This record gives sequence, C-alpha cells and structure tokens, in this order.
Amino acid sequence: MYLTRDEEDILGGSKGESAQKAMELIVALGKVYGADGLVDITSAHLSGASYKTIGDGGLKYLEDVSKDAKVAVKATLNPLGMDRDRWREMKISDHFAQKQLRIIEFYGKMGVRTTCSCTPYLIDNIPSFGDHVAWAESSALSFVNSYIGARTNREGGPGALAAAIIGKTANYGLHSDENRRPTMVIDADIGSTLFDHSLLGQAVGRIIGGGIPYYRNIRPDIESLKSMSAAMAAAGSVAMFHVEGITPEASLHDIKDLERVHIGKKELEDARLSLNTADDVQLIAFGCPHLTVREITEMAAFLKDKKKRREDVDIWFCTSSDARNKCPDQVRILERFGPVLADTCMVVAPIEANYQRTGTNSAKAGNYLPTLCSQKVICSDFSKLMEMVL
Amino acid sequence: MMNGRSISAGKARGTVLKIDGAFSFLGGVDGSTGELKGDNKGNISDRIFVFQMGKGSTVGSFTMYDLKVHGKQPAAVINRTAETIVATGAVISSIPMIDRIDVSLLQNGDDVTVDGDIGTAEIHNVKIMGSVSSVILSGGRILMLRRPDDASSFPGIWSLVAGRIEEGEGAEETAVREIFEETGISVSRPDAHLDPIFIREKDIIWKVHPFLFTHDGTDVELNSENLDHRWVMPDELEGMSTVASTVSAVKELLKKIRCP
Repeated sequence: MYLTRDEEDILGGSKGESAQKAMELIVALGKVYGADGLVDITSAHLSGASYKTIGDGGLKYLEDVSKDAKVAVKATLNPLGMDRDRWREMKISDHFAQKQLRIIEFYGKMGVRTTCSCTPYLIDNIPSFGDHVAWAESSALSFVNSYIGARTNREGGPGALAAAIIGKTANYGLHSDENRRPTMVIDADIGSTLFDHSLLGQAVGRIIGGGIPYYRNIRPDIESLKSMSAAMAAAGSVAMFHVEGITPEASLHDIKDLERVHIGKKELEDARLSLNTADDVQLIAFGCPHLTVREITEMAAFLKDKKKRREDVDIWFCTSSDARNKCPDQVRILERFGPVLADTCMVVAPIEANYQRTGTNSAKAGNYLPTLCSQKVICSDFSKLMEMVL
Repeated sequence: MMNGRSISAGKARGTVLKIDGAFSFLGGVDGSTGELKGDNKGNISDRIFVFQMGKGSTVGSFTMYDLKVHGKQPAAVINRTAETIVATGAVISSIPMIDRIDVSLLQNGDDVTVDGDIGTAEIHNVKIMGSVSSVILSGGRILMLRRPDDASSFPGIWSLVAGRIEEGEGAEETAVREIFEETGISVSRPDAHLDPIFIREKDIIWKVHPFLFTHDGTDVELNSENLDHRWVMPDELEGMSTVASTVSAVKELLKKIRCP
C-alpha cells in the first residue's frame, strides 16, 4: 500500500496522537481490503451514534478521541437512540438519556454535525457526482453511490470517523470504476408503491448478497429509492445499484452478458412473508429510513379525517428535525396518532424495554427489529398498518 | 520466527490462549473482565489471543476498547485473516495485532512474542527442525511407509519417505540419502518440489521440504525405521492415517509433474 511522505509523517505522529491513530486505522483497514493507497474525501457520514448500539466501550472511545481530534471534512452523524427533547414520551430511562446526551456532546466537540439523520443526502451532506466520500450507514451510502454517483465503500463507524479526521480514506472497492459495474440484471415487474420497492430491495438483497444489481422496468421516486437501498443493504450487503434511466453511471455499462433475474409479484410476496412473524402489534413505527416531507404530507392526507381507536398500540413517526420543521401543519395531524420523533428511529432506540411486537412498512426494519430489538414483526404497507388501529 | 503482516502496531510477549474458528468480541467476551463467554472458556486478559478471524457485530470493536478501558485487553491478537471489526478494535485500543499467520502452528500455553510493527510472531518454546518428505512415484503408484508404534514422531501412521535434515546438509541431499537408507532405492534428481510446509508436533515445528522422484520398479528394502510399505494409488491416501498435510502435498506435487 502506497503512502505519500505526508501520510507517512502523520502515521509517525507529526500531527498529534489522534491523527496518528486515525491514520493507523485507515491503513489497517486498507490492508484488510487490499487498498493500493489513500484517496481524498469531500465528506463523511458516521454511524455509531446510539448509546444502544455502541455501549460503554464506544462512549469511552468517543470521550477519549474527542479530547484532541477534529474532523477535517464535512461530517454528519446517524440517528440517536432517542429524540433529544421527547425521550420521555419514548419511555427512555434517565440513565440511557444521560449517556446518549454525552455521545452527542463528544461528536459535536470534534466538529461533527449532529443533525443525526440516516438521510443526510436530503439535508446537510449532499455529495456531488464523482466525489469520493467515506460513509457508514448502509442505506445512505448505497443511495449516494447509486443516485448521485458519489463514491464510497461500506465504512464502519470508527473507520468513517478516522477518515473524517484525516480527510482521506483507503482507496479500494467502489472508489474505482471497474468495481462499480453491475453484476446482475433485475427485470422487475412490480407495483408502484413505496412498500413494493422496499420488498423489491428485500428480494434482491437476499439473492445478490454483496453484488451490484442493475434494475430495468422501474421508475422509483426518491422515497422508493431510499427504501430500496435500505432493504438491499440489510437483506444483503449491497452498497451500490444501478437503475436504468436514473443512476448516472447506468448507461456506461454493457449488460448483455450478465445473468438476468425476474422479480415479480410472487417474489415480493415471498419476501413479505419472510419478514412477518407477529399477529398483532404494540408499536407501529414509520421512518426507516427517515420520513421525507413528502411522505409526512401523504400520511397526513390519509389520516386527516380519521381517528385512532386502539389505545393499546403506540405509533411513532421517525424523521429528521429538518423535515419535521418544514411541515408543521402535517406534523400536527400525525401527532394526533403518535409522536413525530426527530433524529432517532425504532431500530436504534431501545424499544425492547417496552415492546415485543412491532409493525413497520420498512423491509430494512423488518430485518433488524428481530435481531437488534428482539421484536416479532408485522411488515406491511402504511395504510394496512394504520387500519389496524383506526 | 513466523512471518505475517502488521495490522496494529506494538510489541508484546505472553502466553497463547487459542480458540477454534471465528470469534465475535460482542457476546464472546465480558468487556469488563476479559472472561470468555459461551462455548469458549478462559480469560483473554494479558494473553496472546489467537483465532482464525473475527465475525459478528461491528460493535465488537468497542468491546475491545471496553477491555482496554478496564485493563483486561489481550496482550496481542494473532489472526489467520484480519477483518474490519477486530482490526478496528485492535488499532483504536492500541493492541498489537498481526495476521496471515498459520494459527494451526500455535498451541495453548505457548510463550510467544508478537511484533505488530513488522508483523512477526516468535514461539519461544519450540524448536524449528528441517526435514524432507518425498513422494516416490512408480507406475502411477506412491510408496507409503508405516512408522513404528514407538517412533518418537508421528508413531504408528503412514508417511512418505521422510527424514530429518542433518547439520550442513541440503534438503535435496537429505531426500536422496533418506530414500536410499529407508528403501534401498537410488534416485538422483527430484522431478518436482514445493515450498516448505510447516507442521506442529508438540515442541517442534517441522519445516518440511516436499519432493517428488519418479522411479522404475517396486522393489523395496526397508531398514529398521519403518514396519511396512505399500504402493498405493493417490486417491487411496485419503482413507489412510497419514502425517498432516500429506494428501494436499501429494496432490500439489502430482499437479506439478502433470502440467509443469
């Protein structure tokens, strides 16, 4: 692995201990992945924000690193384990809340923007075509690779932080043209709803693992794309996909020799069934990935003249502060059904303390709720889930 | 000295604690005590912790940091193949780590120095001994010798024509000498050879040089070092009790003479 004189010096400690440690980590990960050198990045997006997912080890690590480290490029942060202001409504303990607030403080001290959304590409971290970036958060990094044409691998939390501190990451994988080629053609024959696209991502992620699918015959909007990329990254480890007519690089590739797979209604139904393990719910949570203004608006239109009848089921709408602030009237309608929570979600919040059965319209959440939150799950579309409580 | 690859800097000497297979720090060890959980027993604190590779949740990196905070981290980590979680944990926790090491050569209790700066491990309690192991190929069959039940190494099992390299002797020389001593067969130059293979046996690591000699005829005169001999087809080897790595070495050698 080639390092410039300057990079060698940082590794030798020329810019202090935290830069040295960060460089050591980038180089170690570069070796693991067979990188040939480092590449300059324009931004980073970090995972490892919820106290639930990083624990006391992670908290102490951030406390130590933040003593003298500062990020060198724009860096944003993933969702927290709670809404910063409304955590009591989420039945979060004081102990958890205190630890969570310290984590935010340590990231802030390093210069990381604590917007805390999994959709930073809609808010305050919007890469350009061809930018090299270092993003963790599997759904967001796949989105920027595939919709914007920025370039990132699946970074881990500490690796992305190290890259942000140095302003570089190891050059391998999706940073190079030849590794961005599609590996399989998906001929999709599906409906047009968000949930259809989420299930499409689920079905394809299961088949393709870490490959790069090339989709034909779909025209997803931003919301459907974000759900698809989240599902593919959770059901498989897809970090990039092509959609004909949407992905900037899709037309660069010759697909005639690739394996073709047809995904239709039957495959979607199989995917849906594989995610359903509950008959009833105690919590219904939307916003994995975070709800956009458009989704909030559509949900509010659907719920405007309706009334929640079941008191035994809680409803959460998870979004970013940014989106919540942009549509106060619609938010007021949703609030009649349940809290519109900002900068957190049902996967990284410690919901297992209060709930055992959760409903979601996200295939990504459908994958993670059983393992990270010990939940039984109903995975269905928005209106069907809401009809359970109306 | 075993040469691997540096992953996380620093040097440490300690006693090996080895576990089989892949290991997840999250759920696999108590972050405040170093005590292993689940199927694995022992405490990794201050040990040279040896396993094939990491697996499981990425939070495992922070479990390693947690161990460091509590002063219960391993002295060093040795992996066959480094992956993200353990490499990250080792670097952020300043635990020396190396990979690309054949962990089958390490045993629990070994006294080992790991140098994470240059990527080496030295086992202080073993001797490295040079030896040869030769395939004699005649009419498509391979000569196998059965070792006595009281032999000092690899007793009672089938082996190729093997022997220790004497002081001042070259490996090829040893091979020719051992073949004549143990079988009465005269050979001159090998038709194929492989890079040395390392095999652990108690306090010895055998550095075995594999050779292949073709030969006409099947007459064999055993000396006292072996009990019995058989000419076998290569695919019969898998059903026999043989010295470690014999089957794979024979396959590699045969490949070399078939497509040189």
